[in-house]
Amino acid sequence: MTLIPRTGVDALRFLGISLARFSSIFLEVFRTSRAFRVGLIIFTVTIVLGVAVSSFSPFDPRRWYLVPPNKPPSLEFPLGTTTNGQDVFWLLTWSIKNSLIIGLITAMVASHVGLILGMLAGARGGLADRILMILTDSFVVIPSLPTLILLAVLLRDVMTIPLMGLIISIFSWPWPSRQVRAMVLSLRERDFIATSIFSGYGVLGRVFRDYLPFILPWHLVNLTNTVLFAISSEAALAVIGVSILSEATLGVMIYWALNYSALFRGLWWWLISPVITIILIFVSLFLISKGISDYSNPRLRWQARG
Amino acid sequence: MSKLLIFIASRIVAFALTVVIGVTVVFVIPRLLPYNPVEAQIGFIYSIGQFYDPTAIESLRQTLYELYGLRGNPVEQYLGVWRRLLTLDLGPSIMSFPTPVATLIGIALPWTLGLLTFSVLISWTLGNIIGTISGFFSQKKFSKVLTGMAVVLYPVPYFILALVLMFTFAFLIPIFPLGGGITIVGVGFSLDLVLNLAKHAALPAISIIIPGALGWWFLSSFTLTSQKKTEDYVRYAELKGLPNSIVLRRYLIRNILMPQTTALGLALGGIFSGALLTEVVYAYPGLGRLLYQAIINNDYNMIMGISLLSILGVSLATLLLDLLYPLIDPTVRYR
Repeated sequence: MTLIPRTGVDALRFLGISLARFSSIFLEVFRTSRAFRVGLIIFTVTIVLGVAVSSFSPFDPRRWYLVPPNKPPSLEFPLGTTTNGQDVFWLLTWSIKNSLIIGLITAMVASHVGLILGMLAGARGGLADRILMILTDSFVVIPSLPTLILLAVLLRDVMTIPLMGLIISIFSWPWPSRQVRAMVLSLRERDFIATSIFSGYGVLGRVFRDYLPFILPWHLVNLTNTVLFAISSEAALAVIGVSILSEATLGVMIYWALNYSALFRGLWWWLISPVITIILIFVSLFLISKGISDYSNPRLRWQARG
Repeated sequence: MSKLLIFIASRIVAFALTVVIGVTVVFVIPRLLPYNPVEAQIGFIYSIGQFYDPTAIESLRQTLYELYGLRGNPVEQYLGVWRRLLTLDLGPSIMSFPTPVATLIGIALPWTLGLLTFSVLISWTLGNIIGTISGFFSQKKFSKVLTGMAVVLYPVPYFILALVLMFTFAFLIPIFPLGGGITIVGVGFSLDLVLNLAKHAALPAISIIIPGALGWWFLSSFTLTSQKKTEDYVRYAELKGLPNSIVLRRYLIRNILMPQTTALGLALGGIFSGALLTEVVYAYPGLGRLLYQAIINNDYNMIMGISLLSILGVSLATLLLDLLYPLIDPTVRYR
């Protein structure tokens, strides 16, 4: 009788502790890791461009022929204009925003589904665990891009930015769930888990009380990696022509630049702006995740300092 | 039963399960959505505004249902997908009607296969050698420079790097062609032909090799070496006075090959996807290019065919790699 409310309250309590731990990890990593600081600064700049600056756009940059076409960078058009008569700078800020939204949705959905499934399967074991293992192993091997393309083609007429994030999630949960399960298995034989079992904690209680605190730093790393995966998947779909071609995302910008042979015609600013932005976002997020994982893996931390 | 046989059997079962799950996912997900591709196509034809004879529309609708594999109850549809996949009868291509999808894929496949095999082998071998050496001498200057480069190369997707390379070596410094697979140089096999092929394949291959060799495989073998070199058996070898080259060759590389082979198997799907996009960027006449054209022309049959065959092909490659594993890992080979 008392078990169920007890685990529920515990779950909430330990979620609270987890959040507190999130911020303490963040501060500690910020203090110790240079990679993390550099990554965070670059990433903050792109977030400011995408979220704050984009809202100052004097017009909807997705619309065609609002500015003169094919202009090189100048004072009036800091990054030039496209053949479709779009201002590359404002288009870029909108694209950053939409690409980040896709990344964020996938990170929120897929990495949490992966985390929870992995922890439950690892903590519980048995048939559920085995089925999950077969599923994740297969998903890891299946080439995601052709399958995503097929789905995106089928959904072309109803595709929206959030739906894109959800579709990419289909291929982003198996890897984290596989890793989380492996970590739970390595913790399962420790004494404190036995203590929990004998104290009457159920699977949920153990997951939130015992396993989650250990897995949190890794989960932070995975959140950033999932954002990376989602942005690059969307860009990949766009390059091949199955993203939302009327929207503004970094991939769609690259698609139109390639489609109008921007390089052949010397309009390098059109192609290079989204490419450099993607590289900056990727390197900064990677530095952030590297900072956290160096922190959470003491063996590597020692190496980094020594 | 010997350990080796059990190993092989378990790999084959895993392969079969992967293919079944992959095909089922491709089958189930489109059907879960409240959206009918056939009616959308018909609606599209109506929206152009031309007048069509109702019986002609009805026969077109039937053909489309047949082509999209949506005829009959779900069980029949599911079995139909399997029958088509196993007999490699993927139906006619819509964009170059009535050539079968399988024929067109057969023409494009050697290009992709050649490019992929070549680049993956080189990038994996090179990356592991450079990574292990840098990991062993991690305090040296060249090692720090390489790690710095890897941090930039590792997270950037293949096709983005392909675009950067294209911008640099075909636009800024035009030493390679901007795209294509080959330009016609005459009839028959000649040195010119080989050179021409190589020139067109160079940039796409480099775009796959560089991020792999200096990013992915470099970082993973670097990290593995950094961990392994603090282990007791390596310490012991050093204390014994063995030269560095032997410690590297006999004690480190051998132990790193095992996890790296497994990693290669797991990464094949991603590399394949990356190669498809690299082909699109360079207009290289492989599967990626074919897929791109199919998407532009709404050739659903072709897209479905390439997706299904990719699942089959990548799983098969992973299986082959798994079966090579006993050659590297003696603990699997002997009882």
